[in-house]
Amino acid sequence: MTETTVEQSVLEILAGALDVSVDVLRGEPVLARHEWDSISSLDALAQLENRLDVSLDLRAFHAARTVDDVVALVRPTS
Amino acid sequence: MSDRPDLLESLRAAVAEGRAPSPADLTRLALVSDPLVLRKAGKLLARLEDADGLRPLRVALLATCTIGSYEQILRASLVSAGVLPDLVPGPYGMFELTLATDPFDGVDVVALLLDETCFLPHDWAATDVDGLAGHLEARLADLRGLVLSAVERSTATVLLHTVPLPAQVRDSVISWRARAALSKAWAKLNEGLLDLAAQHRQVAVTDLVSVLADSPFPARDDRLHRYGDLPYTDGALSLLAREVRRFAQARGGLSRKVLALDLDNTLWGGVLGEVGAEGVQLGGLYPGNAYREVQRTASRLRDQGVVLVLASKNDADLVDEALTAHPEVLLRPEAFSAKAVNWSPKAGNLREAASALGLATGSFVFLDDSPFERGHVEEELPDVVVLPADGDPAHIVRTLLAQGWFDVAELTETDLARPELYRSRTLRNDFAGGFGSSEDYLHALDVRLVVQEADGFSVARVAQLAARTNQFNLTGLRFDEAETGRRIADPDHLVVTFAVADRFGDEGVIGAAWVDRSGVEWHVDNLVLSCRVLGRGVELAIAAWLARQAHAAGATALRGRYVPSKKNGLAKGFWTDAGFTAEGDGAHALALDAGLPEAPAWINLLEGNEVAR
Repeated sequence: MTETTVEQSVLEILAGALDVSVDVLRGEPVLARHEWDSISSLDALAQLENRLDVSLDLRAFHAARTVDDVVALVRPTS
Repeated sequence: MSDRPDLLESLRAAVAEGRAPSPADLTRLALVSDPLVLRKAGKLLARLEDADGLRPLRVALLATCTIGSYEQILRASLVSAGVLPDLVPGPYGMFELTLATDPFDGVDVVALLLDETCFLPHDWAATDVDGLAGHLEARLADLRGLVLSAVERSTATVLLHTVPLPAQVRDSVISWRARAALSKAWAKLNEGLLDLAAQHRQVAVTDLVSVLADSPFPARDDRLHRYGDLPYTDGALSLLAREVRRFAQARGGLSRKVLALDLDNTLWGGVLGEVGAEGVQLGGLYPGNAYREVQRTASRLRDQGVVLVLASKNDADLVDEALTAHPEVLLRPEAFSAKAVNWSPKAGNLREAASALGLATGSFVFLDDSPFERGHVEEELPDVVVLPADGDPAHIVRTLLAQGWFDVAELTETDLARPELYRSRTLRNDFAGGFGSSEDYLHALDVRLVVQEADGFSVARVAQLAARTNQFNLTGLRFDEAETGRRIADPDHLVVTFAVADRFGDEGVIGAAWVDRSGVEWHVDNLVLSCRVLGRGVELAIAAWLARQAHAAGATALRGRYVPSKKNGLAKGFWTDAGFTAEGDGAHALALDAGLPEAPAWINLLEGNEVAR
């Protein structure tokens, strides 16, 4: 998966979990400015792990503040 | 089919239009195995507030942990069964208090979500497994008391499940002997949970432990367990939700009754017309043993009341010969209540088979190896559940059974006799061809109607009729087993069953009436009748009997209603046909001082325990 595809997938998943459009999230990428609570964050976690085939450290995931932080977490490390 | 719109898009459109998803989409939803799709579907469907065609069901959801995504997953699963759930989650951390004190007014099902914290002490010693076993027993007794008190104070059914022993608990005991003792104590706990179903009719239990053992999903994600008190993964929750859906479907009479089976490459391997009866793969080693297991499974379903229909593009004589002569065949010709073996399109054949059996195609499950045949049936008959039998034949049995399409809450005598009843029905239709008038035919049928007050033995069947009967259901009031039992015991109410027999066989109990006789006028709160006995005047004989009973008890009038639904149009004229006067808004009345209606002359009406012979 390319970096752009990863970024796009993360945006789509986070937008879906937050119930906002991708454009709105792109315009305001700070997660806490949306309904980023325990339910939506766990919803996003389940989808990120399933669609991108990754397993995340929950501490790092909860420390992520922005869309870019989440992209950095799921980006292939090679 | 591949050109169908995405399921979530279809559901979104249905919600936006405020209508029920199409029957085909409900089947697709039931077959979804991805918990994330269920979660999204549940989120969408939460906005569906009212939808014609979906059966309302109020479900209280009580958990010993965080409910989390279970609410959405469960909603999606329940909708797939044709139910519109009103899910009411209990407050977090108040499981026992809620179960002990909530009156559950208007609640149909109290669905419990249990984890090990309900039974384990906060801390326990790995060196004292006996002490732990004692604690588990005490906690089981506590839960038993709570569950039984909840069903005693309400008409809701409590649905619970067995609980897996977490690996972290099991493996922290290092002695093999002690670990076996711990597993035994835990198995005993689960045995006690399963035993609750035998202790009260309003308790149902599903064995989540064995469901999880046979699934691709891990039971637990340790991160989510520690972070959010979420002891089960979405996958495990989707399996539990499927079990709740199976129960709701069985309870609501929404299960399927008919299994239509293809023959070549479904009930045996190979094409009969090409290889002959001696050349088909059936019995012996693989793959013949896989096909024989399909036949054995279908036969077991038939033993429990599922009606089998043969739907094969073949030469009928050749098929009859093979089914009769092949030594490994388990489904002989008489196992099928209807046979559609010809070269016509299968959708039309299934439609005709449904008509001959007097059943809707919506009660059919169709199993076929051909994607073409399946696609055609899906297009033509979207309410039929279509299952694939292609690919490795070893998977067919799992495909057939996994979703519990045929589940019933409890088997009744009528369920057991159903396949033979429907076979008689198709024979009866053939017999009708030889008479000059339908009245001659009806006289020759020797119809016997047995009316009996309902009792503890028949209450399950009466509740089943209330739940399952849609077409001849006059008011749509579905009295469940608890309410029917209450009315049976109350002298102000009368609950009666109707059984029909004729020269072709005994149909068993095919109808029931709930009558309020507390005043000088009797009110028929509902009358339901299986469609398979219509056309013989049975409903008119029932009306005449009710009028006679009311008159004999000193009542001045008998009243009844017709409340239209999407499916009960055929019962619209019942009251007026029976001599009642329409009073507007569905109300009808019969004055009992001006002569009583007569039952049709060809019906022999027997009361109480008179034997219909």
